[in-house]
Amino acid sequence: MATKVTTTICPFCGVGCGMNLLTEKNRLISVEPQIDHPISRGQLCAKGWSSAYGIDPKDRITHPLIRTPQGFRQTSWNKALETVAARLKQIMEETGPQAIGIISSARATNEDNYAAQKLARAVLKTNNIDHCARICHSPTVAGLNQTLGSGAMTNSAEDIFETDLVLVFGADPTENHSILGGHIIRAHLEGTQLIVVDPRRTRLAKLADTHLQLKPGSNIALLNAIIKIILDNRWQDKKFLDQRCEGLAQLTASVANALEGVEKTTGISLPKIEAVAKAYSQSKRAMILYGMGVTQYVSGTNNVIALSNLALTCGQLGRKGTGINPLRGQNNVQGACDMGCLPNVYPGYQKVDNPEVRAKFSQHWKTEVPEHPGLTSMGMTKATLAGEFRGLILFGENPVVTDPDQNLVKRALGKLDLLVVAELTMTDTARMADIILPAASFAEKTGTFTNCERRVQHVQQALPPLGEARTDWQWLAAIAQQLESDQLDWPDSEAVFREITELTPIYSAMNYAKMDQLHGLQWPCSPETPEGTAILHKDTFPIGKARLIPVHPIPIDENIDSKYPLLLTTNRLHFHYGCGSMTRKSPLLEREIPTGLLFINPADANELGVTHQSAVGVGSRRGYIETRAMLTDDLPPGLVCMPYHFHEAPSNQLTNTAQDPLTKMPELKACAVFVQPLEPGSFPRPIDEISGLSVEGVK
Amino acid sequence: MKIQSFYLNHPNTLRDHLAKSYRIEPPQAAPGQNTPPLVSPKGQLFAEHENLFTFDGECFRETLPNPEPFALFGVQSCDLTAISYQDQFFANDPYYQARRQQALLIGIDCLSPCQHGFCPSVNAGPGVKHETADLILHQLSTTSWLLLACNQKGLGALEGLSLNPANQPELNDRDDRIASCIEQFSDDSHLKQGITAINQNQVPEDLWQQLGLQCLSCSGCTSLCPTCSCYGTWEQQESNGDIRRQRFWDSCLYESFQREASQHNPTEKAGERVKRFWTHKFGDNFAKEFGRYGCVGCGRCEVTCPGVIGVHSVMKRISSDAQLDN
Ligand code: SF4
Ligand code: SF4
Ligand code: SF4
Repeated sequence: MATKVTTTICPFCGVGCGMNLLTEKNRLISVEPQIDHPISRGQLCAKGWSSAYGIDPKDRITHPLIRTPQGFRQTSWNKALETVAARLKQIMEETGPQAIGIISSARATNEDNYAAQKLARAVLKTNNIDHCARICHSPTVAGLNQTLGSGAMTNSAEDIFETDLVLVFGADPTENHSILGGHIIRAHLEGTQLIVVDPRRTRLAKLADTHLQLKPGSNIALLNAIIKIILDNRWQDKKFLDQRCEGLAQLTASVANALEGVEKTTGISLPKIEAVAKAYSQSKRAMILYGMGVTQYVSGTNNVIALSNLALTCGQLGRKGTGINPLRGQNNVQGACDMGCLPNVYPGYQKVDNPEVRAKFSQHWKTEVPEHPGLTSMGMTKATLAGEFRGLILFGENPVVTDPDQNLVKRALGKLDLLVVAELTMTDTARMADIILPAASFAEKTGTFTNCERRVQHVQQALPPLGEARTDWQWLAAIAQQLESDQLDWPDSEAVFREITELTPIYSAMNYAKMDQLHGLQWPCSPETPEGTAILHKDTFPIGKARLIPVHPIPIDENIDSKYPLLLTTNRLHFHYGCGSMTRKSPLLEREIPTGLLFINPADANELGVTHQSAVGVGSRRGYIETRAMLTDDLPPGLVCMPYHFHEAPSNQLTNTAQDPLTKMPELKACAVFVQPLEPGSFPRPIDEISGLSVEGVK
Repeated sequence: MKIQSFYLNHPNTLRDHLAKSYRIEPPQAAPGQNTPPLVSPKGQLFAEHENLFTFDGECFRETLPNPEPFALFGVQSCDLTAISYQDQFFANDPYYQARRQQALLIGIDCLSPCQHGFCPSVNAGPGVKHETADLILHQLSTTSWLLLACNQKGLGALEGLSLNPANQPELNDRDDRIASCIEQFSDDSHLKQGITAINQNQVPEDLWQQLGLQCLSCSGCTSLCPTCSCYGTWEQQESNGDIRRQRFWDSCLYESFQREASQHNPTEKAGERVKRFWTHKFGDNFAKEFGRYGCVGCGRCEVTCPGVIGVHSVMKRISSDAQLDN
């Protein structure tokens, strides 16, 4: 039996590296990188190399399951679909379409996401459609939409090699977007100046020319000070400001006092800030890459706006090697947004509240579409608790583990009259479902993913779906059929994609064949730009002139005090992704989990009597967990750090639920905690064992 | 056996002939003469995931692989050298040997250097060494090839193919071309200096730590390196309740590779791991044991390393550092 090679795209992060799947007798035997892929060029990160484990048949859900008083029982697709349809109908009749909704997946294909929003809008007649991007980059979309008119990465990955300066702001790309992180290392070794702004000493911070180790939550203070220095020294790009921006006068006025107290607020000396202001503004080409250290604050949207102000002031936009570039987490979070899996936009960011847009979709789909505004995932949670929302279809996400509001989400899901979950393996969320549907893995489907640089790439099927698993758009179509609708009756994924291109201007000139030929197509790809667009905003912005919008520092919501004397921030580990349901199936990546998950400066540890790898308790106003301590001077004294998403010690028990007012992004990057050593030699207890104890009880 | 040489009009003639009795790997691609594939044939012999045995509660059942005869067609000299290196390492490994016994190795001479390769510097090419292959292909012109049978196994595989014996002038041509190919390789002084520095322990710890900072523990180098052979094992429960033990490719660049149950870890620092890797590739002690360096000069690590510490990058850093010190 010879080996079959299938060309596809890595399912783990927004970089979208090219990978080949090697199969033998319908079993995945190996994964290899693609030498000719424009971004990854023969490379993969640890997650990519281990992706075979994630879809291993072991532990996969292979048949529809239905909840019975005795637990889940295997059932037929027919029975499962009939039950789903009957309950949906009942809820619609009793409470109306605003009581049902869909949460789609930033890990699923564009075709799956398109089908999900179409099922919601054209069949269920609701705009209650969302996906799980909210915990990463909703402030990016909200912020950049206001300032530039588009929330995506403005430039391309290859620009890293064609710039003079890379400014990495609140991002840890070598761990989260490793292949891009590697590009930054390479560019830096070849002479590109590297500046890193981060409260932690990240890997790139250690390699960089300059590391601004700012205090958590002082992003705007720092950025406004940089802008003030640039304006004072006339380092701005006058021509760019005159011709392409508006709001300079207001911005200038707003930063007038930005240098006062900035050293104290940020913890960085003025000369150092000046040097960065000069380097960024005076470089021929300077490129900003940023991540969740910008977005996950109550000031998330304003942080993004402040960064955008900086780029605009210096005219570092619209050219090769410049731009403002959010590094987005999940492999297809860009695509899920592009496909309109958001309550307020149709595919291609066409606004739901625009009657012309509604008419366009209504005509094309030959059906009425809903007018009432939809709910976000958070909105659905709240509406459920208020008794107004009753039925949810959810796939490829595990909010019970990943949602910052874990406990609230759990309560809401438990209260639903109908919860349908499609998944690969039994997750904590699936366990709460009434009906579980077996989903096909990325290796078992055909479709497209859109990476962080807007590149739509072809995912090809290497294996038949396991057991009775189906591709998401296929079971979504089957639900539609049960509801007597043929809206989702496509013959294959390519037909779904064709419909996407008919209705989505930024995708309009794309097709699978061209995508294969050119290793993906970057949107906008329309008849005017048939081969796609590497750089946005070259001559004009979608909103005409870009907007400079004054923003003022907003302190973090919860500061330290005598009871909670340390500040906790969060990070991600290179080896793990999302809730870990795929990566933790690898024995290699599982082994890479550090012994302890609380990272702390040795000075703090010393003072508390905590030793390396000893058991500690960590508590905030919201919860208490136990783990082991890892002593490291990557963190300054006063700041401790925990990775997300480990069910052993879920940091979201601790993090603050205070939100960015516009996007409801919770402040995951800073909250006040105490750390205490446990009995020497004792073991940290898992969260299940602890819950029941009140926080006060432990202290 | 004395080497026997023949003329061949095209490798496809050989390939079609072999296809009657062998599964051909890789199934399609024509062999390249100046670029080894990104992925070496290592996995054909040392499987990335191998079932070792199952345990049903009472008995252990060994699960030896049982492949049909297969031909690794058009393998470059670096990779063949790596296979003969692995043959030593896995001499007593029944799983490796079960595959190896079924394999016919058809080498191909490289006639111009590949982008990152440096096989001449580590005595691993570009001409195929006779003791590393069963058959060797060498291109004379667009319509004419040499086919060398290096042993009985190779000669036996040609049975049924009518071939004319080759003459000495063409055989001399082969040597000349290989010699001229060697001359075209770029300067390798950084490699030579780097090897010396590693063996004389002249690389400062600091530099290893700096290089270690660039290691993202992706496992790319160890996956693609044709001579890397570390593996781990794990047990999994099958649906019928049996326990299956599997081995899988491991990587010494993972932080946890040498972490012990007590949490003690001799290579906790990334720099230690990078140092360990390169000492295994270029250390004289290892060379003594295996009769050659662990590196066969394929250059794959240079391509696949996202942290820019593949072989050339590392050796350039080491050698330029050494020069600064002198
Ligand atoms: S960088 Fe992202 S896309 Fe590339 S291999 Fe790693 S997880 Fe996959
Ligand atoms: S160390 Fe690098 S160049 Fe040497 S054999 Fe391994 S992959 Fe090839
Ligand atoms: S390829 Fe590079 S980054 Fe990856 S494990 Fe090897 S040395 Fe480390």
